[in-house]
Amino acid sequence: MSRPVRILGFVNHIAPVPDIEDEIRQAFEWGVDVVVAQGTGSDWGPYWLGSGEQVSANQAANVEPYVRAALQHGVPFVFSFGIAGADVHLETCLRSFDEMCERNGWSPEVGVVRSEIGKDYLAAAVADGPPVVPCSEGAGHQPLTLADVADAERVVALIGPEPVQELLGRGVDGVITGRALDIGLFMALPMMRGIPTAVAAHAGKLLECGGLALEPGDSGRSIWASLDETGFEVRSPSKQARASVRSLVSHTFYERAHPTLEENPGGALDLSQATYHETATGIRCAGAQWHEAPYTLLLEGARREGFRAVTLLGVREPELLRQARTWTDAAEREVRSAPRFAAHVAAGRLRISTRIFGLDAVLGELEPNRAITGHEAGVLVDVVADNEELAREVAYFAFIRLFIGPYPGRKTTAGNAAAPIMPVVIPVSDVYTFSIYHLLPLADPLEPFRLSVERFPRAGAVKEEAAHAAV
Amino acid sequence: MRLYECADIIRSKNAGPFTLTIDLFFGDEERYSIAKGSMLLTVAGVAQAYGVEESRVKGVYFDDRIRAAKVSLLRWSSSADPFCADMFGAHLHTPLADGELVPALSKGVPA
Repeated sequence: MSRPVRILGFVNHIAPVPDIEDEIRQAFEWGVDVVVAQGTGSDWGPYWLGSGEQVSANQAANVEPYVRAALQHGVPFVFSFGIAGADVHLETCLRSFDEMCERNGWSPEVGVVRSEIGKDYLAAAVADGPPVVPCSEGAGHQPLTLADVADAERVVALIGPEPVQELLGRGVDGVITGRALDIGLFMALPMMRGIPTAVAAHAGKLLECGGLALEPGDSGRSIWASLDETGFEVRSPSKQARASVRSLVSHTFYERAHPTLEENPGGALDLSQATYHETATGIRCAGAQWHEAPYTLLLEGARREGFRAVTLLGVREPELLRQARTWTDAAEREVRSAPRFAAHVAAGRLRISTRIFGLDAVLGELEPNRAITGHEAGVLVDVVADNEELAREVAYFAFIRLFIGPYPGRKTTAGNAAAPIMPVVIPVSDVYTFSIYHLLPLADPLEPFRLSVERFPRAGAVKEEAAHAAV
Repeated sequence: MRLYECADIIRSKNAGPFTLTIDLFFGDEERYSIAKGSMLLTVAGVAQAYGVEESRVKGVYFDDRIRAAKVSLLRWSSSADPFCADMFGAHLHTPLADGELVPALSKGVPA
C-alpha cells in the first residue's frame, strides 16, 4: 500500500487571485507532496510558435508565491512554461525565473526539459522511422514529409510524464519544461510513488486548469487532491469556492472532443466508468481506466504564411449599410484585377479577406442574417501577402477604393466611410499556420529532448540582463 | 423552444486547433430531457445546424449525472487558417443555439 500523494495544482499563465496566500497556506496544512502548474498550450493559435514571441503572461511572477511555499516545505514544483513552449519561449520565462530567484535570495536546483524538437532529429525520424501521421482529420494534413520539416519555423512536442520523472529522480527542487502535455506534469510524481496510471491521469485531468474545475470556476485559484491506489479526493483550498460533483464532471468535458475518452502518450484515459461522490471534505473520484497503447507524442509545428496588414473603416451612412457587401466585394475585385497585383494573386502570394462587423464577421458564410440591421458597421480589410511591403500596399489600395469607390445611390462623394486610425494601414505581423500537428512514435519517451539540471539564478543570467538594461 | 432558451450554460471552445466542442448544461431534468430527446442534438441535427457534412460531426454526447451534453465537430476554419475569425472558438455556438428543439421520435426515451 503506497502512501497518498497530495498535489497542489494551478495554472501558471493566469495571474493568481489576491488572496492566493490563504489558499496555499490551507493546502500545506492538509499536506502537499508536489506543486504542479501548466503554462503551455496551442489555444492561442500558431503565431507564438512561429514568431518566437511570448504571450505577455509573466509566468514567473504567477508562480512566485507557490515556489516560496514549495521551497519552504521542501517539496518539488513541476511547471511547464512559455505558452507555445519552444526553447526561445522557455528561455524568456527562465530569465524571469532567474530574476525572481535573485530577488528573493533563492537558489533552487531545477531540472529543465527543453521540448523543442531538433529539425535534424525530426528529419531523420521522417526518413528512417515509422510514418509520422496527422493527429487531426480536420487539418487536411498528410503524413509528415521532409519538406514539412524544412518549412516549419519551429517544432515542439507535448512531452509526457517520463522526462519530468527522470529529473525528479535526481532529487531536484523542481522541474520546468517547455511544451508539455498538461496532465503528464500532474502524473509524474504520483506514478513514481506507485499511484496507478489511471488514477494519476484522472487526477491530472481534473487538476490541470487549477480552480477552473471548482464552483465558481476561476483559473486564478488553486485546487488540491490526495491520490491513493484506488482514486483521489479533490478539495478547494479557497473558502470562496468548492469542489462539487457537477463542477468536476463538467470539467472533464472542458476543451476535449470526447467526454470520457482521451488519447495520451502510451495509452488512453477512459472515464466512462468513473464515479464521483461527495465526502465531508471534498469529492472522492474513482473508477478511471487506462488502456495501454503504443507510445506517441503530439508534435506542433508552425510555418510562415506571409505578412498581415489591415485597414479599418467605420460605416454609418444608411445607403452604404444597405449595400455594404457589394461595396466591399467591388473593392476586393479591383485589388485582385489591378495589374500591379494580378501576378501575386495568381501565384498565391497575396490573399485578402474583408470582414464586416455588424454583418457576418464572426460566422462568415454560416451567418443566417444577410443584412446589416444596426445603424453602423465596421469593415476590416485583412491582407496576407508574401512580404510586408506588398501587404501594406494592398491594404492602402483597398482602403482608397473603399473610401472613394462609387456605389449606386451614393450621396457621400467626399468620402464613403470614417477612418478611425491613422495611419490607415496597420502592419500587424508575420502570419503562421499549424503545418505540423502529427503523432511521433517513440521507443524512448526521453530521446528527442534535452534534459539538464541548473542552479537558479543561473550564472551570469541576471547580470547580463542588468548590463543589457544599462545599455 | 430554442436550445438557447433551454440551456443555462453554453460553452464553445477549441479542443485542439482543428476541433470545436460545445458543452451544454441544463438547469433541470425537464429541460435536459427536451434537449436530449431533440432532433437538433443528433449528429444529423448538428450537421444541419452548421451546414456541414455529417462526417465532420465527431459526436453528440450526454451525461445524465450533471444534465450536460457535448457536441464536437471539426472546425470549418481553424486557428491554423490565416483568416480564422475566432481563434479560441469561443463564439461559434450560435448556429446550434438558434436551433429549435423538436423531438426526435427515433431517439426513444432518454436513458
